[in-house]
Amino acid sequence: MKLEAMAVHLPDVADHPNRAPFTGVLTLVDEPSTKAPSGARGHRVILTRAAALAALPSLLGMAVDYAPSWDGHDARRKCGIITEADVSGTRLRVSGYLYSKDFPEVERQMRQCSAGTMGMSWELADAHVEDMRADIWTLTRATFTGAAILLRNKAAYRNTSFELGSTRCRNLIAQAAPRSHRTVREEALRTTDGRKEETWNHMQRKTGQARILAR
Amino acid sequence: MESHAEENRAGENPGTLSAGLERMEARLEAAASLFERTVALMEERESERSGEVRRIVAAVESGREAELEKKLEAAEQQIAELQAQVEAGRANSNETPVVSPRKTIPAVTAQFLAKQGINTLEQVEAGALDAALNGLSLEQRIAVKAQLLRAGVVG
Repeated sequence: MKLEAMAVHLPDVADHPNRAPFTGVLTLVDEPSTKAPSGARGHRVILTRAAALAALPSLLGMAVDYAPSWDGHDARRKCGIITEADVSGTRLRVSGYLYSKDFPEVERQMRQCSAGTMGMSWELADAHVEDMRADIWTLTRATFTGAAILLRNKAAYRNTSFELGSTRCRNLIAQAAPRSHRTVREEALRTTDGRKEETWNHMQRKTGQARILAR
Repeated sequence: MESHAEENRAGENPGTLSAGLERMEARLEAAASLFERTVALMEERESERSGEVRRIVAAVESGREAELEKKLEAAEQQIAELQAQVEAGRANSNETPVVSPRKTIPAVTAQFLAKQGINTLEQVEAGALDAALNGLSLEQRIAVKAQLLRAGVVG
Protein backbone atom coordinates (compact mmCIF):
# COMPACT_ATOMS: atom_id res chain seq x y z
CA MET A 1 0.00 0.00 0.00
CA LYS A 2 1.34 3.39 -0.94
CA LEU A 3 0.75 6.38 1.29
CA GLU A 4 1.00 9.94 0.09
CA ALA A 5 0.43 12.46 2.84
CA MET A 6 0.49 16.16 3.44
CA ALA A 7 -0.18 18.21 6.57
CA VAL A 8 -0.34 21.68 8.02
CA HIS A 9 1.12 21.63 11.49
CA LEU A 10 -0.79 23.48 14.15
CA PRO A 11 0.86 23.83 17.56
CA ASP A 12 -0.46 21.39 20.13
CA VAL A 13 -2.59 23.00 22.78
CA ALA A 14 -3.66 20.63 25.51
CA ASP A 15 -7.40 20.58 26.22
CA HIS A 16 -8.22 23.32 23.75
CA PRO A 17 -11.89 24.07 24.41
CA ASN A 18 -12.69 24.86 20.78
CA ARG A 19 -10.82 22.06 19.04
CA ALA A 20 -12.26 18.59 18.65
CA PRO A 21 -10.03 16.43 16.48
CA PHE A 22 -11.67 14.44 13.72
CA THR A 23 -10.69 11.92 11.11
CA GLY A 24 -12.59 10.85 8.05
CA VAL A 25 -12.55 9.32 4.63
CA LEU A 26 -13.35 12.16 2.27
CA THR A 27 -13.55 10.16 -0.93
CA LEU A 28 -12.27 7.20 -2.85
CA VAL A 29 -9.81 7.60 -5.68
CA ASP A 30 -9.82 5.67 -8.93
CA GLU A 31 -13.29 4.38 -8.09
CA PRO A 32 -16.61 5.56 -9.48
CA SER A 33 -18.92 7.41 -7.13
CA THR A 34 -21.94 5.50 -5.89
CA LYS A 35 -24.27 8.23 -7.14
CA ALA A 36 -23.98 11.25 -9.42
CA PRO A 37 -22.61 14.24 -7.53
CA SER A 38 -24.37 17.55 -7.69
CA GLY A 39 -23.13 19.57 -10.65
CA ALA A 40 -22.07 16.52 -12.68
CA ARG A 41 -25.24 16.61 -14.80
CA GLY A 42 -26.33 13.16 -13.77
CA HIS A 43 -22.98 11.49 -14.42
CA ARG A 44 -21.18 9.48 -11.81
CA VAL A 45 -17.55 10.51 -11.45
CA ILE A 46 -14.12 9.01 -10.88
CA LEU A 47 -11.51 11.13 -9.20
CA THR A 48 -8.20 9.80 -10.43
CA ARG A 49 -5.44 9.15 -7.95
CA ALA A 50 -3.14 11.52 -9.82
CA ALA A 51 -5.74 14.30 -9.73
CA ALA A 52 -6.37 13.72 -6.03
CA LEU A 53 -2.66 13.78 -5.20
CA ALA A 54 -2.13 16.91 -7.25
CA ALA A 55 -5.06 18.53 -5.45
CA LEU A 56 -3.99 17.56 -1.92
CA PRO A 57 -2.27 20.91 -1.23
CA SER A 58 -5.51 22.70 -2.09
CA LEU A 59 -7.35 20.63 0.51
CA LEU A 60 -5.21 21.63 3.47
CA GLY A 61 -6.58 24.59 5.34
CA MET A 62 -9.98 24.22 3.72
CA ALA A 63 -13.02 24.24 5.94
CA VAL A 64 -15.50 21.54 6.73
CA ASP A 65 -19.06 22.72 6.74
CA TYR A 66 -22.47 21.23 7.41
CA ALA A 67 -26.11 21.77 6.61
CA PRO A 68 -28.61 21.59 9.50
CA SER A 69 -30.44 18.79 7.68
CA TRP A 70 -27.13 16.94 7.21
CA ASP A 71 -27.81 16.36 3.55
CA GLY A 72 -25.41 18.64 1.76
CA HIS A 73 -23.03 21.56 1.85
CA ASP A 74 -23.49 24.99 3.33
CA ALA A 75 -20.36 27.01 2.71
CA ARG A 76 -21.55 29.63 5.22
CA ARG A 77 -21.51 27.10 8.06
CA LYS A 78 -17.84 26.35 8.37
CA CYS A 79 -17.43 24.35 11.54
CA GLY A 80 -13.89 23.06 11.26
CA ILE A 81 -10.63 22.88 9.37
CA ILE A 82 -8.71 20.18 7.52
CA THR A 83 -5.08 20.03 8.57
CA GLU A 84 -3.96 16.71 7.19
CA ALA A 85 -4.73 14.64 4.12
CA ASP A 86 -3.37 11.43 2.75
CA VAL A 87 -4.18 8.94 0.06
CA SER A 88 -3.84 5.44 1.34
CA GLY A 89 -4.83 2.76 -1.12
CA THR A 90 -8.05 4.04 -2.63
CA ARG A 91 -9.03 6.15 0.37
CA LEU A 92 -8.42 9.84 0.66
CA ARG A 93 -8.34 10.32 4.40
CA VAL A 94 -8.47 13.66 6.13
CA SER A 95 -8.08 14.85 9.67
CA GLY A 96 -8.41 18.17 11.38
CA TYR A 97 -10.40 19.98 14.02
CA LEU A 98 -14.00 20.89 14.59
CA TYR A 99 -14.73 24.18 16.32
CA SER A 100 -16.60 22.32 19.02
CA LYS A 101 -17.27 25.29 21.27
CA ASP A 102 -18.60 27.42 18.42
CA PHE A 103 -20.66 24.57 16.98
CA PRO A 104 -21.82 22.44 19.93
CA GLU A 105 -24.69 21.08 17.84
CA VAL A 106 -22.23 19.52 15.42
CA GLU A 107 -20.24 17.84 18.16
CA ARG A 108 -23.48 16.66 19.78
CA GLN A 109 -24.68 15.12 16.51
CA MET A 110 -21.34 13.39 15.98
CA ARG A 111 -21.30 11.96 19.49
CA GLN A 112 -24.96 10.90 19.46
CA CYS A 113 -25.25 9.30 16.05
CA SER A 114 -24.40 5.65 15.67
CA ALA A 115 -21.10 4.67 14.10
CA GLY A 116 -21.06 4.71 10.33
CA THR A 117 -23.99 7.12 10.00
CA MET A 118 -21.98 10.14 8.97
CA GLY A 119 -19.88 10.60 5.87
CA MET A 120 -18.07 13.33 4.00
CA SER A 121 -18.30 15.11 0.70
CA TRP A 122 -15.84 17.27 -1.19
CA GLU A 123 -16.44 20.43 -3.13
CA LEU A 124 -14.34 20.84 -6.26
CA ALA A 125 -13.77 23.86 -8.44
CA ASP A 126 -12.40 24.02 -11.98
CA ALA A 127 -12.57 20.30 -12.47
CA HIS A 128 -11.41 18.90 -15.77
CA VAL A 129 -13.38 16.03 -17.24
CA GLU A 130 -11.54 13.75 -19.63
CA ASP A 131 -14.58 13.04 -21.80
CA MET A 132 -17.85 14.73 -21.06
CA ARG A 133 -19.74 12.30 -23.27
CA ALA A 134 -18.60 9.35 -21.19
CA ASP A 135 -21.12 7.64 -19.00
CA ILE A 136 -18.88 8.08 -15.98
CA TRP A 137 -16.90 11.29 -15.89
CA THR A 138 -13.19 10.93 -15.16
CA LEU A 139 -11.85 13.92 -13.29
CA THR A 140 -8.24 14.45 -14.22
CA ARG A 141 -7.70 17.81 -12.57
CA ALA A 142 -9.45 19.71 -9.82
CA THR A 143 -9.05 22.03 -6.88
CA PHE A 144 -10.59 21.24 -3.52
CA THR A 145 -12.48 24.21 -2.16
CA GLY A 146 -14.05 22.61 0.87
CA ALA A 147 -15.67 19.61 2.44
CA ALA A 148 -18.87 18.84 4.26
CA ILE A 149 -20.01 16.48 6.98
CA LEU A 150 -23.27 14.86 6.01
CA LEU A 151 -25.30 11.71 6.29
CA ARG A 152 -23.48 8.91 4.58
CA ASN A 153 -26.43 8.06 2.34
CA LYS A 154 -26.49 11.66 1.08
CA ALA A 155 -22.87 11.50 -0.05
CA ALA A 156 -22.09 10.63 -3.64
CA TYR A 157 -19.50 8.17 -2.33
CA ARG A 158 -21.16 5.73 0.04
CA ASN A 159 -17.91 4.57 1.61
CA THR A 160 -16.93 7.86 3.17
CA SER A 161 -16.84 8.29 6.91
CA PHE A 162 -16.49 10.90 9.62
CA GLU A 163 -15.49 10.33 13.23
CA LEU A 164 -14.66 12.59 16.11
CA GLY A 165 -11.53 11.81 18.03
CA SER A 166 -11.96 10.80 21.63
CA THR A 167 -11.20 14.02 23.46
CA ARG A 168 -11.99 12.38 26.81
CA CYS A 169 -9.27 9.81 26.30
CA ARG A 170 -6.92 12.51 25.23
CA ASN A 171 -7.63 14.42 28.45
CA LEU A 172 -7.20 11.31 30.56
CA ILE A 173 -3.92 10.55 28.86
CA ALA A 174 -2.82 14.12 29.38
CA GLN A 175 -3.71 13.92 33.08
CA ALA A 176 -2.16 10.50 33.63
CA ALA A 177 1.08 11.16 31.78
CA PRO A 178 3.91 12.92 33.58
CA ARG A 179 4.12 16.54 32.52
CA SER A 180 6.98 16.40 30.10
CA HIS A 181 5.49 19.15 27.95
CA ARG A 182 5.02 22.82 28.63
CA THR A 183 1.88 24.74 27.93
CA VAL A 184 1.99 27.67 25.54
CA ARG A 185 1.78 30.13 28.43
CA GLU A 186 4.63 28.46 30.30
CA GLU A 187 6.68 28.41 27.13
CA ALA A 188 6.00 32.10 26.56
CA LEU A 189 6.97 32.98 30.15
CA ARG A 190 10.09 30.88 29.91
CA THR A 191 11.09 32.60 26.70
CA THR A 192 10.40 36.06 28.11
CA ASP A 193 12.40 35.31 31.28
CA GLY A 194 15.22 33.93 29.19
CA ARG A 195 15.30 37.04 27.05
CA LYS A 196 15.37 39.26 30.14
CA GLU A 197 18.25 37.25 31.57
CA GLU A 198 20.19 37.45 28.34
CA THR A 199 19.67 41.21 28.13
CA TRP A 200 20.74 41.61 31.77
CA ASN A 201 23.91 39.55 31.20
CA HIS A 202 24.70 41.51 28.06
CA MET A 203 24.29 44.81 29.89
CA GLN A 204 26.50 43.55 32.70
CA ARG A 205 29.22 42.53 30.27
CA LYS A 206 29.07 45.90 28.50
CA THR A 207 29.26 47.79 31.81
CA GLY A 208 32.19 45.65 32.88
CA GLN A 209 34.00 46.30 29.63
CA ALA A 210 33.37 50.04 29.93
CA ARG A 211 34.83 50.03 33.45
CA ILE A 212 37.94 48.19 32.27
CA LEU A 213 38.39 50.65 29.40
CA ALA A 214 37.96 53.61 31.75
CA ARG A 215 40.76 52.34 33.90
CA MET B 1 -41.09 66.86 -19.10
CA GLU B 2 -41.06 68.56 -22.48
CA SER B 3 -41.29 65.29 -24.32
CA HIS B 4 -44.17 64.23 -22.09
CA ALA B 5 -45.90 67.48 -22.84
CA GLU B 6 -45.32 67.03 -26.56
CA GLU B 7 -46.69 63.50 -26.43
CA ASN B 8 -49.69 64.71 -24.50
CA ARG B 9 -50.22 67.40 -27.08
CA ALA B 10 -49.94 64.73 -29.75
CA GLY B 11 -52.94 63.08 -28.19
CA GLU B 12 -51.51 60.36 -25.92
CA ASN B 13 -52.78 60.42 -22.40
CA PRO B 14 -50.66 59.42 -19.36
CA GLY B 15 -52.62 56.19 -18.94
CA THR B 16 -51.67 55.01 -22.42
CA LEU B 17 -48.09 56.01 -21.77
CA SER B 18 -47.83 54.06 -18.53
CA ALA B 19 -49.44 51.04 -20.16
CA GLY B 20 -46.90 51.31 -22.96
CA LEU B 21 -44.09 51.58 -20.46
CA GLU B 22 -45.37 48.55 -18.59
CA ARG B 23 -45.50 46.56 -21.81
CA MET B 24 -41.98 47.67 -22.64
CA GLU B 25 -40.79 46.71 -19.17
CA ALA B 26 -42.34 43.27 -19.49
CA ARG B 27 -40.72 42.78 -22.88
CA LEU B 28 -37.36 43.90 -21.52
CA GLU B 29 -37.68 41.49 -18.62
CA ALA B 30 -38.52 38.66 -20.97
CA ALA B 31 -35.57 39.60 -23.18
CA ALA B 32 -33.23 39.72 -20.17
CA SER B 33 -34.38 36.30 -18.98
CA LEU B 34 -33.92 34.90 -22.49
CA PHE B 35 -30.47 36.45 -22.61
CA GLU B 36 -29.55 34.87 -19.26
CA ARG B 37 -30.71 31.48 -20.47
CA THR B 38 -28.70 31.87 -23.66
CA VAL B 39 -25.59 32.77 -21.69
CA ALA B 40 -26.07 29.72 -19.43
CA LEU B 41 -26.54 27.50 -22.48
CA MET B 42 -23.45 28.93 -24.14
CA GLU B 43 -21.42 28.41 -20.98
CA GLU B 44 -22.64 24.83 -20.81
CA ARG B 45 -21.67 24.23 -24.42
CA GLU B 46 -18.30 25.86 -23.89
CA SER B 47 -17.62 23.73 -20.82
CA GLU B 48 -18.63 20.63 -22.79
CA ARG B 49 -16.09 21.52 -25.44
CA SER B 50 -13.28 22.27 -22.99
CA GLY B 51 -14.16 19.60 -20.43
CA GLU B 52 -14.12 22.16 -17.63
CA VAL B 53 -16.69 22.07 -14.86
CA ARG B 54 -16.83 25.04 -12.54
CA ARG B 55 -18.19 23.33 -9.46
CA ILE B 56 -18.95 19.77 -8.43
CA VAL B 57 -20.10 18.73 -4.99
CA ALA B 58 -19.92 15.10 -3.92
CA ALA B 59 -23.33 15.25 -2.32
CA VAL B 60 -26.36 13.72 -3.90
CA GLU B 61 -28.69 16.22 -5.48
CA SER B 62 -31.90 16.27 -3.54
CA GLY B 63 -34.68 14.63 -5.55
CA ARG B 64 -37.22 17.16 -4.32
CA GLU B 65 -35.17 20.09 -5.57
CA ALA B 66 -34.82 18.52 -9.00
CA GLU B 67 -38.55 17.77 -9.06
CA LEU B 68 -39.44 21.35 -8.10
CA GLU B 69 -37.06 22.73 -10.70
CA LYS B 70 -38.75 20.60 -13.35
CA LYS B 71 -42.18 21.79 -12.20
CA LEU B 72 -41.04 25.39 -12.26
CA GLU B 73 -39.61 24.96 -15.73
CA ALA B 74 -42.87 23.41 -16.94
CA ALA B 75 -44.89 26.21 -15.36
CA GLU B 76 -42.67 28.87 -16.93
CA GLN B 77 -43.02 27.22 -20.30
CA GLN B 78 -46.79 27.10 -19.91
CA ILE B 79 -46.87 30.77 -18.96
CA ALA B 80 -44.72 31.67 -21.96
CA GLU B 81 -47.01 29.68 -24.27
CA LEU B 82 -50.11 31.31 -22.86
CA GLN B 83 -48.53 34.74 -23.15
CA ALA B 84 -47.63 34.02 -26.75
CA GLN B 85 -51.19 32.89 -27.43
CA VAL B 86 -52.57 36.08 -25.90
CA GLU B 87 -50.17 38.22 -27.90
CA ALA B 88 -51.05 36.38 -31.08
CA GLY B 89 -54.74 36.82 -30.33
CA ARG B 90 -54.27 40.53 -29.79
CA ALA B 91 -52.32 40.91 -32.98
CA ASN B 92 -54.96 39.04 -34.98
CA SER B 93 -57.94 40.88 -33.62
CA ASN B 94 -56.09 44.22 -33.51
CA GLU B 95 -58.30 45.23 -30.68
CA THR B 96 -57.84 46.12 -27.08
CA PRO B 97 -57.39 43.08 -24.87
CA VAL B 98 -60.61 41.56 -23.72
CA VAL B 99 -60.79 41.51 -20.01
CA SER B 100 -62.29 38.37 -18.62
CA PRO B 101 -65.72 39.37 -17.40
CA ARG B 102 -65.60 36.95 -14.50
CA LYS B 103 -62.54 36.13 -12.51
CA THR B 104 -62.94 33.12 -10.29
CA ILE B 105 -60.28 31.62 -8.16
CA PRO B 106 -60.58 29.03 -5.39
CA ALA B 107 -61.95 30.39 -2.13
CA VAL B 108 -58.82 29.37 -0.21
CA THR B 109 -56.63 31.34 -2.59
CA ALA B 110 -58.94 34.34 -2.46
CA GLN B 111 -58.91 34.25 1.34
CA PHE B 112 -55.15 33.97 1.42
CA LEU B 113 -54.75 36.91 -0.96
CA ALA B 114 -57.24 38.96 1.04
CA LYS B 115 -55.22 38.29 4.18
CA GLN B 116 -52.16 39.59 2.35
CA GLY B 117 -54.01 42.77 1.40
CA ILE B 118 -55.04 41.85 -2.14
CA ASN B 119 -58.78 42.29 -2.03
CA THR B 120 -59.56 43.04 -5.64
CA LEU B 121 -58.65 40.75 -8.49
CA GLU B 122 -59.23 43.35 -11.19
CA GLN B 123 -55.69 44.64 -11.12
CA VAL B 124 -52.98 42.69 -9.32
CA GLU B 125 -49.51 44.14 -9.51
CA ALA B 126 -46.68 41.67 -9.99
CA GLY B 127 -44.65 43.17 -7.14
CA ALA B 128 -47.56 43.06 -4.72
CA LEU B 129 -48.35 39.49 -5.71
CA ASP B 130 -44.75 38.38 -5.21
CA ALA B 131 -44.67 40.07 -1.82
CA ALA B 132 -47.93 38.39 -0.86
CA LEU B 133 -46.67 34.96 -1.87
CA ASN B 134 -43.35 35.42 -0.14
CA GLY B 135 -44.22 33.23 2.83
CA LEU B 136 -45.24 30.28 0.67
CA SER B 137 -43.10 27.43 -0.56
CA LEU B 138 -42.00 27.34 -4.19
CA GLU B 139 -44.58 24.68 -4.99
CA GLN B 140 -47.40 26.65 -3.39
CA ARG B 141 -46.33 29.82 -5.20
CA ILE B 142 -46.43 27.98 -8.51
CA ALA B 143 -49.88 26.63 -7.69
CA VAL B 144 -51.29 30.05 -6.73
CA LYS B 145 -49.80 31.74 -9.78
CA ALA B 146 -51.19 29.02 -12.03
CA GLN B 147 -54.65 29.53 -10.51
CA LEU B 148 -54.42 33.29 -11.03
CA LEU B 149 -53.21 32.73 -14.56
CA ARG B 150 -56.12 30.42 -15.31
CA ALA B 151 -58.51 32.97 -13.88
CA GLY B 152 -56.96 35.63 -16.08
CA VAL B 153 -55.97 37.79 -13.14
CA VAL B 154 -52.34 37.91 -14.18
CA GLY B 155 -51.10 37.97 -17.72
